[in-house]
Amino acid sequence: MSSQINKQNNHNSRAKDVSRRDFLRKAGTYSAASLTGAAMLLSPRPARATKNVTWAEHFQKNYRLMTDEEKEEAIERLVKRYSEEFGKKVNVNDTPAIDGVLFGYALNIQKCIGCRRCVKACVAENNQSRGDKQQIEWIRVMRLEKGKFSEEDRDNSGYPQDFGIQVGGNAYKPAGVVLEGQHYYEADKVPEKDAFYLPMQCMQCEKPPCVKVCPVRTTYRDPDGIVVIDYNWCIGCRMCIGACPYWARRFNWGEPDLPAADMNPDTHYLGNRPRMKGVVEKCTFCIQRTRKGRWTGCVEVCPVGARKLGNLLDPDSDVRKILATKKVFRLRADLNTYPKFFYFMN
Amino acid sequence: MISYRLFAPLMGLSLLAASPNPVSGEADLEGKQCFESRKDLSQVQQREIKPGVTNIKCSPTTGGVLYWGDPFDGTIPMGDMPVEADYSHEEAVVKPREPQIDRNKLLTICSMACHNGEYVPYPENKLARPLTMHKDIVPDAMQLKHGKQAIWCLDCHHAATRTKLIDNYGNEVSFNQPQILCGKCHGQVYRSWRDGIHGKRIGMWDKGGKKRWWVCTECHNPHDVQQGERNSGFAQLDPEPAPILPKGMLNTDHERGHGQDHGGTTH
Ligand code: HEC
Ligand code: HEC
Ligand code: HEC
Repeated sequence: MSSQINKQNNHNSRAKDVSRRDFLRKAGTYSAASLTGAAMLLSPRPARATKNVTWAEHFQKNYRLMTDEEKEEAIERLVKRYSEEFGKKVNVNDTPAIDGVLFGYALNIQKCIGCRRCVKACVAENNQSRGDKQQIEWIRVMRLEKGKFSEEDRDNSGYPQDFGIQVGGNAYKPAGVVLEGQHYYEADKVPEKDAFYLPMQCMQCEKPPCVKVCPVRTTYRDPDGIVVIDYNWCIGCRMCIGACPYWARRFNWGEPDLPAADMNPDTHYLGNRPRMKGVVEKCTFCIQRTRKGRWTGCVEVCPVGARKLGNLLDPDSDVRKILATKKVFRLRADLNTYPKFFYFMN
Repeated sequence: MISYRLFAPLMGLSLLAASPNPVSGEADLEGKQCFESRKDLSQVQQREIKPGVTNIKCSPTTGGVLYWGDPFDGTIPMGDMPVEADYSHEEAVVKPREPQIDRNKLLTICSMACHNGEYVPYPENKLARPLTMHKDIVPDAMQLKHGKQAIWCLDCHHAATRTKLIDNYGNEVSFNQPQILCGKCHGQVYRSWRDGIHGKRIGMWDKGGKKRWWVCTECHNPHDVQQGERNSGFAQLDPEPAPILPKGMLNTDHERGHGQDHGGTTH
């Protein structure tokens, strides 16, 4: 585990460096872009979403500060724009958090077979950009390999061989489970015999570092514990991407590619409504579903039933029963982010 | 004895041949066939339930179900359960297994044509014996891949009423409620299943909300829970494709070379 997390950490600190270095330059560009929305209309290859963003949409308030009327107006504008763009009746909900609900998620790491069905279901549900040019996936399935324990291996190779570090003793013996995360694994059939799998997505932290760093406070934690983003106020600075220890946030570098036919018209303002170029997005526990009582897309499609979502405040919920009776852990608990995404074993 | 064993396969085959087979062929024209958890044994036919809304969306690469337009499509009430649990005060439904088993009209004909007590006499005891029928389902009856040779067909199937399974007392249990059968030997998993932890539920997560519960045989093949050397209760599936490499990443060598061949040079 630790080596995988370290690697991830390296990645993140790298990403953080980059985003800090680029912050002023890039942030300048994107905020300028959002202020000059009309200018976008003149760009040579106007892409769908950005082209149609209206002045009113550009100058609307931060969602949290809007009055009910302003929210209604904002949503009306979106419904009109999306329905025209995608050629179907699109709903934009603003369903608020349900009183007495704090969402928690539990994933059975022993059952996950690494089939990535959750990844694709999430894309279908949440209107991410797809296709070769820009593929955005909110769930990342890591493959962790188990080592081999043969006599031959013991003597002819070891781990970590080419690191050149010996800690004394039997450093050149196989270390057993290797636990390097592999994200791009390809397999004929899953689960493979010598691997297990660890899916990661937004952990909806109780103390989310991404929220702390957001300079425009466009990302925040709602009362049901879901960390949301008001895409209209995102300036694309990507500080949150650097701050997230879980590698959960994605950036729309280009115009999202969302074919009209595949677009899911049942959306939420803070969730799966179509995004624009230059904004950050991430898993919201399918806010458009869960706030209406429905399970998330990933929970519903997991063929092995490894994914569970429920109300942490309800002692009878499946998630609470898991916390009470199973072996549970969270990723990077040492960071005091208090994720509400738990991993468990039978 | 001998004579029916020779005759039965022929008889069975001719009955099967006469029945239409909706699984393959012409059925594809009506809409895609996708599967839920068991490939070929948890099939769903894609169709429109409301204008523009289909009951399911399927993965174009693996045929797995990716989305439920209606999570309760084709379900029936779960029925009475012998224990007090969450679903006693909320609506619980299941997808019936019988249509799935009956896809080749096997279930329809089994009690009438074969297991009627005369044509195939009811067994006197439940000791294991070699079988010549049902090799498509259990290739070698003496090597049943469930229970390490400690259980037999008649620990699960009703000795006389072959369209039923049995509970602990030998009472008939519907194929649609295999949890009652499995629960008699796998008590701990059964309890976990009742708590919504083992297995799977879809629909409404909220208390009192309607839920579709997956039954045991929607994931497990009761005749093979060993799955070869992997010794796992769940059969392997095709994975969905890997993510596209980010710009500038030429290959995934940095991820390879671990584990299987220790000390690869591509750390
Ligand atoms: C662990 C309990 C169990 C044992 C042991 C068992 N079965 Fe089954 N069998 C089932 C269940 C449950 C089903 C329903 C499967 C489903 O819903 O897909 C079934 C279904 C069947 C079917 C229906 C065809 C189909 O599509 O699956 C046949 C035929 C069958 N069993 C034969 C046998 C024979 C022959 C044996 C002994 C060699 C045997 N079974 C042993 C539980 C068992
Ligand atoms: C008559 C008792 C009995 C019944 C009924 C029964 N099983 Fe089993 N099952 C066993 C035994 C015995 C084993 C083997 C345990 C071992 O030694 O590994 C087993 C093993 C399994 C395993 C593999 C366990 C593992 O650790 O790998 C699965 C999965 C399983 N059963 C599922 C089912 C399902 C699903 C049903 C209902 C269709 C069912 N069983 C019904 C007795 C039973
Ligand atoms: C949603 C799919 C699903 C359903 C429904 C389901 N199981 Fe499982 N079951 C699994 C998976 C996946 C495993 C893990 C297999 C592995 O470890 O490789 C498993 C493992 C098991 C095992 C092995 C012991 C263990 O806990 O690992 C038993 C026994 C078992 N199941 C019995 C049942 C019974 C009995 C039911 C019905 C009450 C049931 N299962 C329903 C997917 C399911």
